[in-house]
Amino acid sequence: MATQAQAATPGGLGQQLREHFSNWRLALVIAILAIPGSVALFPLETAFWVSFGAVILITATVVTRAWGRRPGPLLVAPALATLFVMNIFPLLWSLGLSFFHFRANRMSPPRFAGLDYFEKVISDPNVWDRLQTTAIVVVLTVGIQLIVGFLLALMFEREFPGRRILLMLVLTPMMLSFVAVGAFFRYYYEPTFGLLSQAVRLVTGEPYILLASPEGAIAGIVFADAWMWSPFVMLLVLAGLVSVPKYLYEAAEIDRASWWRRFRTITLPYIRGLLLLALLFRTIEAFKLFDVVFLITEGGPGTSTETIAVYLYRVSFQYFKTAESSALAYILIFIVIVLTNLYLYFVQQREKDEEAPA
Amino acid sequence: MKRRRLGHAGWGWTAFAGLVSFIYFFPVLWIVLTAFKAHTDALAIPPKWIFTPTLENFVSVFARAYIKGQTAVDTNFDVYFFNSIFIAGSSVLIALVIGTLAAYGFSRYPLRGNSTYLFIILTTRMLPPIVVIIPIFLMFRVSGLSGTYLGVILLYTAFNLPFTIWMMKSFFDELSPEVEDAARLDGSNGYRVFFRICMPQVKAGLAATAVFGLILTWNEFLFALLLTGVETRTVPVAMAQTIGGDIGVRWGLLAAIETLFLIPVVVVVYVLQNHLLRGVTFGTIRR
Amino acid sequence: MSTIRLRNVTKRFGSLVAVNRANLDVEAGEVLCLLGPSGCGKTTTLRMIAGLEDATEGDILVAERRVNHLRPSQRDIAMVFQFYALYPVLTVAENLAYPLHYERISKAKIEERVNRVASLLHLESVLQRTPGQLAEGEKQRAAVGRAIIRDPNCFLFDEPLSRLDIEQRQVMRGQIKELLAGLSKATVIVTHDQLEALTMADRIAVMRDGIIEQVDTPHRIFTEPANLFVAGFIGTPRMNLIEATLTEAGESHLRFELGGQQVRLPVTRPGLGAGSRITLGVRPRACEFVSEPDDGAISGQVDLVEPMGAETLVHLLHGDQDLRVVVDRTTRLTVGEQANLRFEPGSVHLFDEAGRRVEPAP
Repeated sequence: MATQAQAATPGGLGQQLREHFSNWRLALVIAILAIPGSVALFPLETAFWVSFGAVILITATVVTRAWGRRPGPLLVAPALATLFVMNIFPLLWSLGLSFFHFRANRMSPPRFAGLDYFEKVISDPNVWDRLQTTAIVVVLTVGIQLIVGFLLALMFEREFPGRRILLMLVLTPMMLSFVAVGAFFRYYYEPTFGLLSQAVRLVTGEPYILLASPEGAIAGIVFADAWMWSPFVMLLVLAGLVSVPKYLYEAAEIDRASWWRRFRTITLPYIRGLLLLALLFRTIEAFKLFDVVFLITEGGPGTSTETIAVYLYRVSFQYFKTAESSALAYILIFIVIVLTNLYLYFVQQREKDEEAPA
Repeated sequence: MKRRRLGHAGWGWTAFAGLVSFIYFFPVLWIVLTAFKAHTDALAIPPKWIFTPTLENFVSVFARAYIKGQTAVDTNFDVYFFNSIFIAGSSVLIALVIGTLAAYGFSRYPLRGNSTYLFIILTTRMLPPIVVIIPIFLMFRVSGLSGTYLGVILLYTAFNLPFTIWMMKSFFDELSPEVEDAARLDGSNGYRVFFRICMPQVKAGLAATAVFGLILTWNEFLFALLLTGVETRTVPVAMAQTIGGDIGVRWGLLAAIETLFLIPVVVVVYVLQNHLLRGVTFGTIRR
Repeated sequence: MSTIRLRNVTKRFGSLVAVNRANLDVEAGEVLCLLGPSGCGKTTTLRMIAGLEDATEGDILVAERRVNHLRPSQRDIAMVFQFYALYPVLTVAENLAYPLHYERISKAKIEERVNRVASLLHLESVLQRTPGQLAEGEKQRAAVGRAIIRDPNCFLFDEPLSRLDIEQRQVMRGQIKELLAGLSKATVIVTHDQLEALTMADRIAVMRDGIIEQVDTPHRIFTEPANLFVAGFIGTPRMNLIEATLTEAGESHLRFELGGQQVRLPVTRPGLGAGSRITLGVRPRACEFVSEPDDGAISGQVDLVEPMGAETLVHLLHGDQDLRVVVDRTTRLTVGEQANLRFEPGSVHLFDEAGRRVEPAP
């Protein structure tokens, strides 16, 4: 209250100073000028610290401005500052880098390159090939996850003794580490003593090397990923299934509706929204598939299982084409932003529907 | 003659679901079995169902040295386990403090463009880690944070923040604001309302968020691969190197590590079953 | 014939007996109301008839056929649910048509029947809306429409009017009664609202703790309650139930002692002898204040006066008992005043020690 009254009366040196230091718009302008400027003019280290200082300046102005007046900005400032320093700022930095000739393993100063690297990435047949691989993996794994998850959900929809324990068993894969899952399946796909190979040998008499053929390698990866994430879809579908009011099923029973009709007119409408969310969420997640591929096939045989994330890893950390990888990263960021936006739109849509009276 | 009520199934269904669940869980189960096998049993053809269980693998996880050929080789996994726990623990704790405050702010004192902020926050989490790591890798090299605990913890704090904010916001949104208004009318200030009225109501949510954060951090691989040094290496990285490195992979040892890694996860899945949906969707879907 | 019969039907949930040996007959064209406080087992009884719950013991007959082993869909019944259970994604027209798909009749026929029911229930203007866009009263009518569009063996209503406001209730009460009168089906309505039961039912079954206490016409339930529970449950304000001792059983009168006072009433009950402990039941509208004390009246102190519009409810403290008396609004009484109360002899109910009604001589 007191600070508000103070703010209303002009004058007072402290007040003026405060107004001055809390001018976040000015701070923003300084930052926008300073960051690219320092990247262009100074060596990398100096540029980094200049940019870092600009971020601190913006945070400080926001906090000063809000101090004692509005709790909103004050509460979110530490979190936003952390995210800015550790996520947004690096991303902006790499956006900047994508316009320069720059390799992280050489000390030569960056030279301006304009849109060269974006052009290069978009016209690179390798990128399109890896995107195609990713698309195949995403479509297969998400499709299998939806089907298996749906069937599992139908199984767990009913109440039966021991349900909670069994549910725990099925839900466990989802919470496992990618590395652990990768290691599991590498062990199972092992050509001599791996379970898969031995099972096939029982039938054909020959050891079976799944990961030797491109198709087999993709199948192996899709299987591991789908195994891991089908429970996710199950969880969502299950949430939809239990949200159906029981009296609707009772009414349908009284109205002598067939199983199919009941499913179509009652069950499906209640889970349709969640299925869509599951599809989107899994697509976003599968799109970044890295760890499992890295552990099971390392992209092989050849480059047949190299997803875009693995490719990006190779470009940036094995070939150290930093600028090119930054440009490619920005194309991926764009795709993920679109998908995330879509996902949140449907989340909000669903919340609105839930609030409306039935 | 006896019909069950709608939605209720009996032991017959338990048997069916049990079989399906068993098959589904089998890959995990087999690894746990392998962890108790001696090296030759683990590589046996055909696979051994019945074997003499041994704790040898678990011992070598924590033993300072084991004999391989003639040389003493340190598995170092005690250090890696400590690193995993320490890094996950500290970063989750920091993220929880900062994130809960922010979530409360976003929930109760919406800013202009509140949903835009929240969207950006979620997007940073949805981005492929490889995209985020390229500039951070450079940044860490420049600032000398690479390979230090401070750097890794800072990074994982940022990694956990979006998740914590969205989770906690979903819990705060569920509380009825009337209770807080009433407390305000009764003369409580903002701090009191937050600590005395709000926090006790979201205790369970806070615990769930913490545990999910721990698991996500505990499982994370790529950041750790690129940014941890020899001293700060976490278990997933060490596990991956165990596979990639030596000529003969010690599958029994690996299975033992995985089993140890698995135990907290299984316990958490059982305890947090009701919060699981919210957890795996970063708080965007509640029911 | 469309009938419903229950024979010794019992329902247990674990150790809880929800319905205990219920016997009930609902004839064709008859409307029976199951009336009782919440948790008395009336909804369970209805759900057992529908087949949504299994009876633990006993027989359920619909249309003179034992249906215990049949699924709800095989029993050919129509039911209106308390929360209406309209299918949220379907329009009103589709909701109404829903039960007809089972009968595999032509599209034109379905449409014709939907339109007929819609006009009967004044739903024509909302046929293309979904339940979410309907007002409460329209939802209720749509739910009723979905039930009557079929030609089932019988109708079941679970608290059909509980979600409507008072005005809509009055209208719908009349409408449902009118509709059912034209259909000549056995109908069971579950309600906790006695006004609803008294106005809509041909007969009322009063339930308490899983036991059917009395099945009778609304008139007889009111005028001849079979026991203390029914007497106390039916009628507003509640009937006064006064514990008393019979001191003298004369040829043409009975004399009681209640709260330290002697009262002589010109009624007879053949079954009672002097000294028996009984309960007197007197409705608040079946007694009047008199100016002078006499041997047919008791005296007490006016404790509370509640004006109810046309009438006034007076609480009279007699001993430690609170007696409710409804008087004309012109009667002036002040709190604290002593007053004498006389019962109308013809309207006095007597209950024995076990709480059962003691009938007058035929």
